[in-house]
Amino acid sequence: MASQGASTAVRHSVTRFQRPPRITRRLRRNPKTGLPQPHVKITTREFAPCRLEDHSQTTLKDDLMYMTYKHEVGERPPPRQIRLRFDPNDPYTKFRHNPPVGGPQLGTRPAPPCTPENVVRLERIQLHTMVKESIANKSHLLGAMMQMRALTGETFQGGGHHAVEGIQITRGKKSVGGWLRPGVPVGVKVDLRGQSMYDFLGTLVEFVLPRLRDFSGIVLPPQSSSIKTPASVAGVVSFGLPANALVFFPQIEVNVDAYPKLYGMHIHFVTNATGVGAQDRARALVSGFQVPFIRR
Amino acid sequence: MLSRTSTKCARAVHPPWRRLLATETVTQTPSTAPTPPPRSKKSLRPHISTAIILNRSPIITRTPTLFEQAYYAYQARLRRALHNPFPYDFYFKQGTLLETRFNIEERKRERLAFGPGFLEKEDVSEEKRAADIAAVEQLALQEGEGEELMPRTRPENIEGDVKSLDRRGKRNLYLLLHASDDGKDIWRFPQGDVEKGQFLHQAAQKDLYAECGDLMDTWIVGKAPVGVYKPPQPIGASQETAERVVFFFKGHIMAGQVKPESGNIKDFAWLTKEEIETRLEGNYWDAVKDILSDY
Repeated sequence: MASQGASTAVRHSVTRFQRPPRITRRLRRNPKTGLPQPHVKITTREFAPCRLEDHSQTTLKDDLMYMTYKHEVGERPPPRQIRLRFDPNDPYTKFRHNPPVGGPQLGTRPAPPCTPENVVRLERIQLHTMVKESIANKSHLLGAMMQMRALTGETFQGGGHHAVEGIQITRGKKSVGGWLRPGVPVGVKVDLRGQSMYDFLGTLVEFVLPRLRDFSGIVLPPQSSSIKTPASVAGVVSFGLPANALVFFPQIEVNVDAYPKLYGMHIHFVTNATGVGAQDRARALVSGFQVPFIRR
Repeated sequence: MLSRTSTKCARAVHPPWRRLLATETVTQTPSTAPTPPPRSKKSLRPHISTAIILNRSPIITRTPTLFEQAYYAYQARLRRALHNPFPYDFYFKQGTLLETRFNIEERKRERLAFGPGFLEKEDVSEEKRAADIAAVEQLALQEGEGEELMPRTRPENIEGDVKSLDRRGKRNLYLLLHASDDGKDIWRFPQGDVEKGQFLHQAAQKDLYAECGDLMDTWIVGKAPVGVYKPPQPIGASQETAERVVFFFKGHIMAGQVKPESGNIKDFAWLTKEEIETRLEGNYWDAVKDILSDY
């Protein structure tokens, strides 16, 4: 009993804090907000143990390494050089346009050698919504932004991380026949990394996907489809959720009446897999988090 | 928030997949490929078997260490201090019971994080506050809250029972069999011989069923073996005896339980890495120790 009391005392001493030190130096004020600024840059990191990250580290990583390992002996042979190489000092060839020999190599790029460092892992999840009405009236983006905000809780440079961009507005890139112009806001997107990524994935897999009636899995392309397309060597798994699936997210379910309209979204699981067969390795990883796949 | 696991891979200066430009010159590297050792003229075909390292993954999260607890508490406190203001109006209608409950809980969390002196005193009368708390408790009763969570450790008779799959929920468990092979009693992983024309991973699945019964759902990870073990030749064996090679496969158990089928299996046990070390022989342990998880 005494030891139990001692252990709780120790736990309290590490999770509770004493009174903060008295502020002796005047804090600078932010000219924009008028709020006091600390003297040091404050960043926050993980604030709770993350179940899915533990799962991916202890179970998935091993299994994926065993499943995707390709044995190679020695160094890889250099690619076949199929055209005469010219002397770089020759003034004729020196400043000429000099494309890589053999056309685009994107779809044929082999995967990097298997090492413990490049076992396939989830880098980020990107959520993306296009709001067509916003081309005519920008204020239609507000609903989609609020929805993303409720789903992810991401803010611009949230937690003091300069690389966290929060909810971003996507803009038109090119002119489409009297409908879209470059620079016009057309949607919102958000990148999730680390803890918030795993939180979102857990919510999706445990609350949303099981409650979707007509969703039996992410549809795989037919077996006859080409494996040398740019998409299949990119290592990204994508699928979409319709607007009526969004009510199953608990963050939105609590006050679904507050949203004038819900917007469907694309979900991209971005992994570190590259080269031939990258999408298959990415699918193996994502299915390890219990996201189902089917083949029609 | 950025992941602690995201690391930037260093790019090679000349990736091997890139074809050269027409004007680039190739630097000739001397080939250093080692020549294969000369094979003995007549070698016997080795005797191949497969063994399955059947794993039960953790079923609960592990308890954070004291340092981790302190770290998480500090970071959670920082987050609370820095977070954007919560949009009450968006999430709750004014004056509803749900808003009252959220306010009471939020004040409790603030007090836990920053101490009792941090919050200003609420501007409500004692009666109002007592009525609020009573209403929130009533709501909790209606919603069936307050159910007790399952304990994170099982009673001693389950934790100590090596045949139970519910023991040591935070750890990876592995199946070990107590077998009498060639008149010797040893602990080993489920194992069997590969027949001619059979693939290794198919042989692994078949051998697992042959020794442990088909009353369990299992999945063999991948088609390639994860480890290899060459038992030492018994003393006094002539040079002509075939070499024995055991290939290890990793498997997961999803449901069910082991039911030893063959007569030479006396017992089985689900064990953590440390417990396995005490039961295996030196050579065998050296072959498998890096395959087993420390968690």
